[in-house]
Amino acid sequence: MPPFELNTDISNRRDLQASDLTPYDAIYLGNPYCRVYEANFLEHVDELAEAIQQVKGEGRKAYVTTYAAPRNAFLGQIRRALEVAEREGADAVEAHNLGVLRICRTEFPGLQVFVGGFANVYTDVGAQVLLDQGATRITPNYELSLEEIGLLAKHTGAEIELLLHGKIPLGISDYCHLLEHEKAWGIQCPSLCQQDLFLRQGDWAMKSVGKGVLSGRDVCMLEHLSALWATGYRTFRLTALSERPAYRAEVGAVYRTALAAVAAGDARCPEAWWETIKRHSRIGLCNGFYFGQSGQAYVPARQEVRA
Amino acid sequence: MSERRWQGELLAPGGSVAMVEAAVANGADAIYVGPRGWSRRRDAYELEDEQIRRCVEVAHAGGAKLRAAFNTHPQSSEVPALLQKVERLVEFGIDGIIMTDVGCIAEVSRRFPALTIHASIGANILNNEDIRFYREIGVSQVVADTKLTLRELHSRKHDLEVGIEILIHANKCYTYLGKCWMSPYHRFERAVDEFGKDLFRGSPNRGGLDYRVCLEAWSLYSGDTKWEERVALKNDAFFLVDDIPRLLDLGVHCLKVQGREYPVELVGGMVRFYREMINTYLTDRTNFSLPAWKARLSDLRVERDRERTQGTESLLQEARLPVLTAPGGCSR
Repeated sequence: MPPFELNTDISNRRDLQASDLTPYDAIYLGNPYCRVYEANFLEHVDELAEAIQQVKGEGRKAYVTTYAAPRNAFLGQIRRALEVAEREGADAVEAHNLGVLRICRTEFPGLQVFVGGFANVYTDVGAQVLLDQGATRITPNYELSLEEIGLLAKHTGAEIELLLHGKIPLGISDYCHLLEHEKAWGIQCPSLCQQDLFLRQGDWAMKSVGKGVLSGRDVCMLEHLSALWATGYRTFRLTALSERPAYRAEVGAVYRTALAAVAAGDARCPEAWWETIKRHSRIGLCNGFYFGQSGQAYVPARQEVRA
Repeated sequence: MSERRWQGELLAPGGSVAMVEAAVANGADAIYVGPRGWSRRRDAYELEDEQIRRCVEVAHAGGAKLRAAFNTHPQSSEVPALLQKVERLVEFGIDGIIMTDVGCIAEVSRRFPALTIHASIGANILNNEDIRFYREIGVSQVVADTKLTLRELHSRKHDLEVGIEILIHANKCYTYLGKCWMSPYHRFERAVDEFGKDLFRGSPNRGGLDYRVCLEAWSLYSGDTKWEERVALKNDAFFLVDDIPRLLDLGVHCLKVQGREYPVELVGGMVRFYREMINTYLTDRTNFSLPAWKARLSDLRVERDRERTQGTESLLQEARLPVLTAPGGCSR
């Protein structure tokens, strides 16, 4: 087993079949943004069951995510997905909502629970509350700096999952603004949010997936990997829910190779890796909030700006 | 039914001592203020400790309650300072505290078990299991998300022993409140005040101002092709005048008016309007006439919308300014 975990996320069977998962140790199944996302695993539990078996059969860990903003009406379907996760032997479920975390604790005590990035874990005392509720892994809120995450990890001893690459969430809604354009564009839901759509204003950009708003730029921590490794982080996500399968495969391959190299003490970043990452980044790169700056800023480890 | 039979309260904003005085004078049952650096507003509308002490005196003299909003996510290193601040305000006699961070809620509940804790709208409590979770860590009142329906609210009131607070005069964002990071993504400034509190300018979840970048003139592109010249991420001011009678019938515990950033006179007028409307309905529900109240609201609406539009323009300009302080740097 490698001394680290690189995982990614996949919304539906189509993307699971089309994706080369070679770079990954674990897969989060399901789309947390929208119940009507095309063939969302969380709504198609028979396909979720097959996916869990497929991922595990290939020697990877299978995790089941849950909705980021679930209303009362969602809870029945979430329970069905959790039943499937438990029955099929999913390695963990991801709770973004504290009510869902409570459901896991009280109704599915055998399931391992990870706390996702929408759960708003900002403080060590907050993380401790969730660990006391049975969570075993924490994704801190994306708004935290590495300095803050380090304190949180040190004070709680929690396993921390860090986003290494991909678009961070900037918001989630109960309303899909893309539906207003169905007639004009001649594109119906659920195909609307698959169109690679960006909101732009001057040099600002955000990606729209309808009910979700994502960063326009891709968070990229490639040249900061050795620092993350030295700090002790070993669990990493490459998020690709809104990307094509080629993104998941090719960018994932870069990070897989880079992590293996860093683990072996080699911190070099060959130019070919940057070419791959740039080819898949439509707007540019950023570091999110990891360095305590505006989320769209990029802080180079060396004196070259890649954003 | 007599108006005395509504056990709830009209909750008003207190962006200054003068605003608290106006809210009390115009009939607020409770007022919320933000300790400087710790609440979900620009620091100009937050108060120093001695001002809060004065607000407690004003509120209590007028038969009203005073709450302090610590409704942001601090840094882990700031939690001890938050607890010290809460202790000081408890000594002043505050009647409750509005919070967001689950860890801070749990800590405050342990240390100040007699203090009423309200879960802020920023906690984004969306379902009944959420409410159970927050109750277990010490919350007794929850502020309902503005996107919840009356049916959902009724379910909560019916199934759970918890006080429900409804925003009747506020903004409804495109995103769920507490789950939006558009503003700090575009501009985020770490600025530490003289007390060591990071003001997190640009991050409403952390106590800084919200630049309202969702209201920019966004165009929509697919690749390099512009599909729409202007798309709106809806962020509307709303007034639940139509729903107030039903909310009162449902026994909602608290009707909340937002607006710490508005002029004192406007807030005073808003509080007076809702106070009189509530009292009129509770005195004679059968003959209550909604159209007359909607007409009366129209002047307030114009004034409020003007304030909001000016505020948004100013914030969007500010969002384009360069960040001058280094992370963790002091700017005051």
